[in-house]
Order: sequence, then structure tokens, then C-alpha cells
Amino acid sequence: MSVDARKAAVLAEIPRLRRYARALLRDGDRADDLVQDCLERALRRLDNWMEGESPRRWLFTIMHNLFVDQMRRKGRRPEGAMLPLDHAEALAAPAEQAELMGAREVLNALQAISPERRAALLAVAVEGFSYAEAAAMLGVPAGTLMSRVARGRDDLRALLDDAGRRRMIRVIET
Amino acid sequence: MSGRDFSERDIHMALDGELPEEDRTAYDAWLDANQDMKARAARYEADRQRLRASLEAVLAEPVPARLSRALEGGAAEPPRRAALRWIAAAAIFSVGGLGGYALGRRGDGPVSRDERLAQNAIIAHRIYSAEKLHVVEVGADQKDHLVGWLSRRVGLTLMAPDLSAQGYELIGGRLLPADGGTAAQFMYQSADGQRVSLYITSDKGEQDTGFRLYEGDPIRACYWVDEGYGCAVAGAAPAAKLLAAANLAYRQLLAGAEA
Repeated sequence: MSVDARKAAVLAEIPRLRRYARALLRDGDRADDLVQDCLERALRRLDNWMEGESPRRWLFTIMHNLFVDQMRRKGRRPEGAMLPLDHAEALAAPAEQAELMGAREVLNALQAISPERRAALLAVAVEGFSYAEAAAMLGVPAGTLMSRVARGRDDLRALLDDAGRRRMIRVIET
Repeated sequence: MSGRDFSERDIHMALDGELPEEDRTAYDAWLDANQDMKARAARYEADRQRLRASLEAVLAEPVPARLSRALEGGAAEPPRRAALRWIAAAAIFSVGGLGGYALGRRGDGPVSRDERLAQNAIIAHRIYSAEKLHVVEVGADQKDHLVGWLSRRVGLTLMAPDLSAQGYELIGGRLLPADGGTAAQFMYQSADGQRVSLYITSDKGEQDTGFRLYEGDPIRACYWVDEGYGCAVAGAAPAAKLLAAANLAYRQLLAGAEA
């Protein structure tokens, strides 16, 4: 496969890489930074991409590794993560607020799930990878992957329940 | 009947397309016989639907030029490093002044000047909000004296903003050492005893920032730099409440400075 054909195949995956990154990191700019790092690394390693290997899996593996590095760096900086000010966003765009509320709740909930479970759940439930594919991508045994998916799903359920309750309380207060 | 037992694990497998086809009929029968498991399966499926729907819009967004350019190789531009990492709240002000966004940095870079502002505010809050007897040097009963004194020592025209719209009453303030200078701390308390503090120091950096949130544990700070005022509202309150208090403080400080 020519270099141009390979690049075209990579280009076609960008929307999905962006979706995965957005779900992992929540913040749009940080997510695109991750995708950009991934693309640059992919470009440098275009030769490593085996003929016949799915470009999607190859790219997701690269990006996941970059994500893990990032989480590790963050872990060494205990002073806390920067979070976007959702409420400022909401105030700035009242018309979109109701429409986005549901999505915002889900994306916030994802951030409260541990990075390992979050990545596993997203790879399977959103990106549609099989357990075997996702396990290879994340570099863990299939059993570990399965339990991360299951726990991540359970975390998400509990977090969405909490968010729902908080919303009820807010409604009652106002 | 395939003679195997099912468990919650099979719910995940079924949902993820990993349940062997030959088990499907028995699995469905098991669900019918276990209504709580059936409800669990339906809930997981609904959550997945929400998850996918929440992320669907990303697929339809146009690919940012910097990403398609990244593939052209050669003169790759440096990633933008989340310049808008913290959504500036500028748009919520009808009064201007909270302009641009400061440039973001790599996560492993040195702590920036305005992050240090947030950290200092958080440290000061942690120390003094825990005080029972000496939480402030000068009480709110001597507010004029307090404000005049702190303005003189910090070198800014200060005022003690009224945060009662967010349920916080001024209890007083104190002078603090800051990086190479001084800072003022106004302490507020809600009816149920929750404290937030407003930290103000002179910041002659060239860049104004929007509102940013610094998530410490358990104290967070909403901070900004504007017109030479480096400010932070710190407390354990939810981010939205801190932002609302910061919003109040910002407007009043701005009005006070212009008066």
C-alpha cells in the first residue's frame, strides 16, 4: 500500500479518534491535542502498520498508549486536574442548555470513572470493538477487559443516577 | 435448553455481542424468569444509548485543520495545547474586560503564574478557614478600616464584595504574604457555616484571563486575572457556586476600581 493510501486511511479515522478522545478527556481542545499527538506518531510509524491490519485498531492502540502516558503524568502532579467550567458554558448559551444537558451529564459522569474502566467501556460500548480487539488495544487480558467493561458500566449507571437525583434537587430548589 | 447457568456477566456479553449464538434462547428465557436481571439489562442498554447519543455529534464535526495538516508531515505545527482548556466565562459578562484566554501549557510544564495564584489562594483558605477563633485579623464590624488598610497594603483599590446573593456574609479579612508581595483575603461564611474566601493580589502580568477553575482536593478555586487584579474565590463549595460567587465579586471589584 502506498504512503498516500495509508495516509488516506488514517485521515478517514479522524472523526472516530476524535470521538474516543473527547469521551476520554471531556475537554475538546485537550482531546484534539491527543488526536494530533496520535496522528503525528502514526505518521512517523507509517511503516509499522502491517498490511491487512485494521487502521482503526492500529490508530486506537497508538492513541490509547498516549492517553495512558498522559494519565500517568497527571498522576505525578497531585495538585488536581483542570476542569472546564460547564456552568459558564451553560450560561453563555442558554438556548442550547436544555438540549446539551443530557449529553453534559453523561460526559461528566464518564470523567468520574477511572481511566482504565472508562477506556474499556468506551472502546466496547461506543466504538464497537470486540472484547478481543479491545483487550489487544488496551494491552490487557480479555478477562481483565471484560471486568473493566462491566465495572465501568456499573459505575456509569450509579453516576447517572446521582446526576439525576441532583437535577431533581435543583428543580425543587428553584 | 443449554444447561448452563447465567449471571450478570452474561448481560454484558449479550449487550456487547459476545454471547454465543447458541446460548441466546436460554439467555432470553433466563431474563424472562429474572425480572431484576431483565431490568438491569434494559437499563444498561438505555445507558449505552445515552452514551452513544451524547458522543454522536463529535463524528459530524468538521475535522479541525490542524489535524488534517498533522498528516501532511514536515512542518508539523505544535499542538495547540488546549489553549481553551478552561472555558473562559467572558461571554457571561455584558461588561467587557474579561477578554482573551491565556495560552495553555503542556500538562507537565512549570506551574504558571496564574495557577500559582490559585494555589496560594487555596493554601490560604485551607489555613484560615479552619480557624475557630482567629479566622480573620479584622472583623466585618470594621469593614471600612479593613478595606482601607488592605487596599493600602496590597496597592489596589479594593472593596469587600457583597456575596449575600450566594448566601455568603463577610466575616472579615486579613493581610497575607504573596509571591514577592502582599495579598488580601476576605473571608465569608454561609448560614450553615461553610466558608469561602476571596483572595486578591496585584498581578501586573500582561495577560488577562477568563475565569478558570482550579480543582484542588477538597478546596477548589475559581480564579482570574483582570486589569492588574489577580483574584481567586476559594472554598469547598461546588464549582458552580464558586463561579457564581466569583461572578459577583468580579463585577463589584471592577465597579469599585472604576469608581
